[in-house]
Amino acid sequence: SVKDLADLSPSSTRDQKVVLLPCRTPPSRERVQLWLQAKKQFECLQ
Amino acid sequence: MMTTLTRQDLNFGQVVADILCEFLEVAIHLILYVREVYPSGIFQKRKKYNVPVQMSCHPELNQYIQDTLHCVKPLIEKNEAEKVVVVIMDKEHHPVERFVFEISQPPLLSISSETLLSHVEQLLRAVILKISVCDAVLENNPPGCTFTVLVHTREAATRNMEKVQVIKDFPWIVADEQEVHMTEPRLIPLKTMTSDIVKMQLYVEERAQKAS
Repeated sequence: SVKDLADLSPSSTRDQKVVLLPCRTPPSRERVQLWLQAKKQFECLQ
Repeated sequence: MMTTLTRQDLNFGQVVADILCEFLEVAIHLILYVREVYPSGIFQKRKKYNVPVQMSCHPELNQYIQDTLHCVKPLIEKNEAEKVVVVIMDKEHHPVERFVFEISQPPLLSISSETLLSHVEQLLRAVILKISVCDAVLENNPPGCTFTVLVHTREAATRNMEKVQVIKDFPWIVADEQEVHMTEPRLIPLKTMTSDIVKMQLYVEERAQKAS
């Protein structure tokens, strides 16, 4: 289950392997696509 | 001039971490381009390691990749990042591909400082070239994929990340089984590099049935 890094016991005697991932997610493809369209429109207006 | 350095020497870990994080940044941009996670229009051709690569010009995506690597850096500095994995996930957030960078650093070095950097650059260039053509050996991904970065480390090492995550407001959590596990993946070795300062193995784990 998901747990915060702060929950990991610093005094743990068994130094177990862990796999970490960021809480934040990267921008979605749709969001990036919208940005790209807006950028192209802006460049056309220049 | 031959210089013998140990991992405890001042700045040595930092140098390795700088080199690897710079490389991982280029590699992540290239993976996202080659595997079509984002529209090709956001990528621009640049020259890194003396070869052309594709780098995103989307500010939010670039910042995300930088923040991610900023948090990973203290682990690499202390030789505590066993693997850095770029995971491409389908719409249901199940992994379809995992680009695994398996990293190990030798404890004792005997290096010639003049040749060191150019040799490492040559090796990293070869890894980049392998990534740029990896689509030839991989199946197409389903539409609507996204990505994340996983770090395989040890519980005690996570304390090295805590300060950085707070500063960057970029918290990390322990991954659950869904993010890590892939059923019977196809293993595709891409490149192994061995230098005086770092050994790295890059392979891809590809899900057998990509269409969900």
